Amino acid sequence: MLAVVVMDLSDPSVVDILETTGSFEARNAALQRSNVDGVCSLLPIWSRQVETSRRQTEDAIVALTERFSQIVQRIDAALNTSGTGSQQNDAHAEAQRSRKDLALVVDALKAIQLSRNELVGQIRTLSNYTAELHKMATEVDLIGFRTNILSLNAAIEAAHAGESGKGFAVVATEVRALSNAARDTGKQISKKVGLINDALAQIGRTNEEVAARDDQAVQASDERIRAVIGRFESSTAAMAAAARQSHQQSNAIKAEICESLVQLQFQDRVGQILAQVVGSMNELTDKAANSTADEAAQLARDHADQMVSSYTTEEQKLNHQGIETTEVEQSAVTFF
Amino acid sequence: MAKRILLVDDSASVRTVAGIALRGAGYEVVEASNGQEGLSQLNGERIHLIISDVNMPVLDGIGFLKEVKKHPNYKFTPVIMLTTEAGEDKKQEGRAAGAKAWITKPFQPAVMLDAVSKLVMA
Repeated sequence: MLAVVVMDLSDPSVVDILETTGSFEARNAALQRSNVDGVCSLLPIWSRQVETSRRQTEDAIVALTERFSQIVQRIDAALNTSGTGSQQNDAHAEAQRSRKDLALVVDALKAIQLSRNELVGQIRTLSNYTAELHKMATEVDLIGFRTNILSLNAAIEAAHAGESGKGFAVVATEVRALSNAARDTGKQISKKVGLINDALAQIGRTNEEVAARDDQAVQASDERIRAVIGRFESSTAAMAAAARQSHQQSNAIKAEICESLVQLQFQDRVGQILAQVVGSMNELTDKAANSTADEAAQLARDHADQMVSSYTTEEQKLNHQGIETTEVEQSAVTFF
Repeated sequence: MAKRILLVDDSASVRTVAGIALRGAGYEVVEASNGQEGLSQLNGERIHLIISDVNMPVLDGIGFLKEVKKHPNYKFTPVIMLTTEAGEDKKQEGRAAGAKAWITKPFQPAVMLDAVSKLVMA
């Protein structure tokens, strides 16, 4: 240790020694005593300076650690709130379910359309019956026509029979009236059947028009549903991707902060080293307070030996021996 | 139910680093800043593992460990020493006092968690 040699001639004890003995040894002893006192007076100052630095560093690191810790907690809270993307996956699954449900609606519309087509098919079957009815009405008319001819022939034959054919002529007249009525009825039936047939044909045409429109409507609905679901799936997929990315980024930031916290452990190590230095300086100051120069030198040697036992880190031991310290080994684990 | 760990260290920054790692791994953590505070936490609550520093004020880690091993309810609780002390003499002192593992600082949380999981499972 470099000590500044200062003879304090204002110190009465120094002057006293010099005046009393006037010897070189006495002057030398006083000088050394003065050096010891000088160094001892500096030690508490150094000690306080180092302790202040240690405390300030510790306070700052603890505060920094606490801030980092709070940031990690907030990130954890954010990660827990956003989940691990499962909500986005749920939205995607919901879109899939909606697609299936809406497909069922389209299928139901198609089923209704099919039912109506079947109904129209049955109506067409009715058209076949009306054709038969028309044929039967025509036959009724024909029968009426033939009966009319027969009644005419009967009337002619009744006229040929003279007086005896008068009764038969009356019958022939009635038969003729009946035949005319039959023909009228046949024509009426034929006319009504024609009307029914026209109505059925109109129903068929209307149905075809409605069916065509329904086809277009169902197809358009199907396309719109697919488009809506597609957009929904795209947006949910984009949201899920963004959420995953955000989740990954948050985890990466958290990992970086945790790694920074690991690096802040240096404070614990530095704090122990500085605390040992401060404690050692205070101890030496107390010991050397009332010692002679020779005693102080011996005290310093003894103190140096004692310091070794108070070291807690490898670098303190290496520094003590004057060996350059290497990088501190991390996380060495020994199981017993 | 989460395993409970008693973490004893006078360094707030070390407690924070270790606490974040342990809680993140699903453990419940009880903290103390020296051996005496650590002993006051042994109040009948189930503690599955103890992690303790060695150099601490009031009651150091080795003294704390010896008291734990005398405690009827906690003498079989595994103890990991987490310390800047890397000397073989200190390690053997810890071993003799009943420590199950010795981890030197600065430590990587993953290494500490690995040791914790091995000893908690045991």
